[in-house]
Amino acid sequence: MAGSTGPVGGGGFFHRHPRVTPYLLLAPGALWLAVFFLVPLAFLGYQSLQSGIFPTFEFTWEFSNFSDAFTDYREQLLRSFLYAGIATVACLLLAYPLVYWIAFRAGPWRNLFLLFIVAPFFVTYLIRTLAWLNILADEGPVVGLLRGINVLDDDGRLLATTFAVVSGITYNFFPFMALPLYVSLEQIDGRLLEAAKDLYASPAQAFLRVTLPLSAPGIVAGTLLTFIPAAGDFINAELLGTPKQQMIGNVIQAKFLESLDYPTAASLSFVLVAAILVALLFYAKIVGTEKLTG
Amino acid sequence: MRTRLTRGELLRRGAAGTALLALPSLFVGCGGGSGDAGGGDELKTVLNFSNWPYYMDTKGKRHPTLDQFTAATGIKVNYFEDVNSNDEYFAKVQGPLSQGNGIGRDILVATDNSRFPILYVSQGWVRELDKELIPNISNLVDAQASPPFDPERTYSLPWLSGMTGIAWNEDLTGPVTSISQLLEDPKLKGKVTMLSEMGDSVGVVMADAGDDPSAATDDSFDRAIQKVQAAVDSGQIRRFTGNDYAQPLANGDLAACVAWSGDVASLVADNPKLKWAVPEKGGIIWTDNMLIPTGGSVATASTYMNFVYDPKIAAQIAVGTGYISSVKGVKEEAVKLDPDSASNVLIFPDDALLAQLSQNDPAMLGNEEYITKWQAVLGQ
Amino acid sequence: MLIWRSVKRHALTAFALLAVGYLMLPIAVVILFSFNDPAGRFNYVWQGFTLDNWAEWDAVLGLRDAVVTSIEIGLLATFVASVLGTLIAMAIVRHDFRGRGAANVLVFLPMSTPEIVLGASLLTLFLNLTNVFSLGFTTIFIAHVMFIVSFIVVTVKARLIGFDRHLEEAAMDLGANEWTTFRKITLPLLAPAIVAAALLGFALSIDDFVITYFAAGGEQTFPVFVWGIARVSVPPQVNVVASAIFLVAIGLALANVLWQFRNARGERGIA
Repeated sequence: MAGSTGPVGGGGFFHRHPRVTPYLLLAPGALWLAVFFLVPLAFLGYQSLQSGIFPTFEFTWEFSNFSDAFTDYREQLLRSFLYAGIATVACLLLAYPLVYWIAFRAGPWRNLFLLFIVAPFFVTYLIRTLAWLNILADEGPVVGLLRGINVLDDDGRLLATTFAVVSGITYNFFPFMALPLYVSLEQIDGRLLEAAKDLYASPAQAFLRVTLPLSAPGIVAGTLLTFIPAAGDFINAELLGTPKQQMIGNVIQAKFLESLDYPTAASLSFVLVAAILVALLFYAKIVGTEKLTG
Repeated sequence: MRTRLTRGELLRRGAAGTALLALPSLFVGCGGGSGDAGGGDELKTVLNFSNWPYYMDTKGKRHPTLDQFTAATGIKVNYFEDVNSNDEYFAKVQGPLSQGNGIGRDILVATDNSRFPILYVSQGWVRELDKELIPNISNLVDAQASPPFDPERTYSLPWLSGMTGIAWNEDLTGPVTSISQLLEDPKLKGKVTMLSEMGDSVGVVMADAGDDPSAATDDSFDRAIQKVQAAVDSGQIRRFTGNDYAQPLANGDLAACVAWSGDVASLVADNPKLKWAVPEKGGIIWTDNMLIPTGGSVATASTYMNFVYDPKIAAQIAVGTGYISSVKGVKEEAVKLDPDSASNVLIFPDDALLAQLSQNDPAMLGNEEYITKWQAVLGQ
Repeated sequence: MLIWRSVKRHALTAFALLAVGYLMLPIAVVILFSFNDPAGRFNYVWQGFTLDNWAEWDAVLGLRDAVVTSIEIGLLATFVASVLGTLIAMAIVRHDFRGRGAANVLVFLPMSTPEIVLGASLLTLFLNLTNVFSLGFTTIFIAHVMFIVSFIVVTVKARLIGFDRHLEEAAMDLGANEWTTFRKITLPLLAPAIVAAALLGFALSIDDFVITYFAAGGEQTFPVFVWGIARVSVPPQVNVVASAIFLVAIGLALANVLWQFRNARGERGIA
C-alpha cells in the first residue's frame, strides 16, 4: 500500500517530497500496464512484420502484411463497423427511453430497474448468447409465432442471419449504453425543466432543448463504450451467424487459433485498432474533443 | 459512516486473506508445467483422456469400458470430450506444448486427415509409447501398421476410424444422396452445414466432382473451393462446424449436413429420425490416433492403450460408437455382443463400401496456400 | 393536451416494462433450463422438472475446477488491481506532474482496445518469453489485473475529484503523519468508490472470456469452460452455475439497494 512511516507529527515523506510522490504512486500500476499492455503490443508489432508458415516464422520487415490484411479482409472490417454501428444506434434508441423513464418517472423503483438493466451482465456473456440460440430456434416458439402471423415465411428463420448477429450484439452491450446515459440523465437538475415549462416550452421542446443536450456527455460515453468492443466482437457472429456475417474479430481469432497464421493475425489486429482510432477521430470532430476525454 | 467502513474493510480484509491463500498457486504457475506434469515412467492413479464427443461407448451417463478399465487396473479415468475440431484443439494446446509444458492430459486424439499428427510429431510435442506395456499391439490390423506420419508406430495408435458423409433429418427432408444436392437443392437452403475441417469438406466435394481426393491438384482443389464458395454466397450453407453440428441437427435447425458416420447412432436418444449415408459419388475415410502429449504419463497411457487393444474391449467400443476399429478379431467379439452388428457396414465396411471411400492427400492437408484459400471460404 | 400527455406517459412506462422483459428473457430461460431433465445429451427442449442438477452441480467433469479458478482469479486480480488502480488515481488527480497526460492516456488505452487485440498480444508476449511465463493461472491473473486496472482508475478518479482535502490537512495539522491520515481519513472516505470499483472489476473478471481464452493455456475459468462444452452440448449443470452466480450477484445488489433505502430513510429521519 502507499504510505511510509515518516516522523510522527505533521509533514511526512510524501509531503516533503512532493515532486517524487506522484511518480511513486503511479509506478506500480503504470509499470504493470507498461509491461502487460504496451510490451505485448510491441511483440505483436514484431510479429506483424514476420513472414512464413507455422511453426517457422522469420522477421523480414514484411510491411506488406498490413496492406494485404487490409485488402483481403476489407469486407469483414467494413461489416464489423456496420454491425457495431447499427447495434450502437439500436442500443441508443432502446436505452434512451428506458433510462429516461427510470431517471424521471420511476420514483422509488429506480434502483430496482437499474438492477434490471445490469442483471444480464451477471449471467456469463456466452450463456446469455446461447440462451438466444434456444429462444430463436427454428423450431421454437418465437419463430413459430412469427411464421404464424406471416412476418416470416414458412421456412424463414431468425437464427444464422444478420438480424440475429446484430440483435445479439445489441443485447449484449446494452448495459454499456444504458448506464452512462443514466448517469448523465440523473444529474440533470429538475428545476431546469421546470424553468423551461415556466417559459412556455412544450414537453417536446423541453426535451429537445434542455434534456437532450444535457445528456450529451452520456450519449457520447455510451456510444464509445458500446461501439469499440462491439467492433471487435466475434462471439455473436460465431454463434448466431453464417460465414456471410463473419466479423473482423472472427478472422483475427481464426488466424490466431485455427490457421496459426500469426503475422496476418497480428497485422489485422493493428489494422483494427487503427480503424477504430480513425473512427474515434471522426467522432471527436463531430462531437467536440472535450466531451471525449475526462 | 462507520457501517460503511466495516463493510469496506471486511471486503478488503477478506480479499487480502484469500490472496494470501492463493499465493502458493501463483508459484506453482510460475514454476512451469501443469500440476500433474512430468514423470512419465511411473504408473499414475488417474488417466486424463481428451477425445472427440460421441466417441466412447455410453450407457446412460457412464462409459462401460472406462469403468471396466478402472476395475481392472485401479486407474480412474477423467474423460474429457473437448476435441471439437483438430484445428481448435491444436491451437488450444499449442501454447503450453510449445513452452515444453504439459496440458494436463495423458492421451489426446488427432485425425490423420488433418495436418496435425505430423505437426505434433515433428515439433516433438508427443512422447514415445512404452511398447513393453502394450503387448496387445500385435492385434493392430496390418493396414494401420505404418501410417506416413508415424511409420513405426512410435508415438501413436489408432483409436477409431470413420467416414465422412451426409446426415439428414427425415422429418425435414427426404434422403440427401449427393453433395451436389446438399449444396444446391433450394429446399435445403440455409439448413445445411459443412465441416470446417478442410480434409473432410473439400474431400467430399472433390469426390462429388469426379476428382480424386487422395491426389489433389491445384485445379481439382480450386474447383472444389469454388463450389463451396458458391453455396456460401447463395446462403445455402448456414455454418461451418466442428462436431458441434450435432445439436442443431438433432433439434431441427439443420435439415442435412456433412457429418461423421457414427455420430448419428449416438444421437438417437435426442432424435431418432436422423440418418447417415455415404454420398453417391464417394466419401472420405480417416483414422483418429491416440498420442501422448508432453507432460503425459507414458506408463499410464500405454496401459490404457493396451487395454483397448483387447478385442473384447475394442468390440464394445466399436459397437457402442458405430465407428470402425483397428483391432484384429473385433468382428467375432462384436457378434457375441450384438449379432446384428456384424452386418452394420458403418462398423464393418464391406468391400463395396470401401471402394467408395478415399483417404485425403497429405500434401493437400499441409499446403499453406490451400489452407488460406479454404479459410477464405469460411469467411475467415 | 392532457390526454396526449397521459397516453405518452403510459406509453413510456409500457416501453420501459417491455424493455425490461426483453432484457430478462434470456436470463429466465437460463434459469428455467437449469431445472430441466433432458433424456438425451442436449438441454434444448423442456422435458421435465428436476432438482438433481442443483444437487449435483459438479457432476460435470471440469466444471468445479473451472468455477473455483474463476473465483480465485476474480478475488486475487480484483484485489491487486484495486490497489494499483487507487494509487494511480491518487497520483493523477492530486498531483500535477510531467507525464500526467501520458498517464491518463496509458490508462484509457486498454479500455479502448478491443479485447481480442489485448488477448492476442498477451499470448504473443507469453509465448515469446516462454521461460518466464508459463501459460496458466499466473498468466490469466496477469491479464485480468491488466484490464481491470483502467476501470478502477476511472471509478476512483471520479470520487477523488470531488474530495475535500481540508479534512486531511486538518488531520495533519493535528499531528497525524501521512500514513495515519491516509488510513483514518482518506481511505475510509474513498472506500465506497473503491468498493464499487472492486465490485465492477470482480464482475468483469468473472465474466471475461476473450482475453482469458488467449491467456489460459490449458487452465479453464468458467466462461472458457462454457465455450468448450458448448461445442458439444451445454449440460444443465452449467445453467445451474450461471444461475447461481446471477442470484448471488442480484442478492448482493438488492441488499445494497435495501441498505441504501434504509440509509436514505435514516437521513430523512434526522432532517
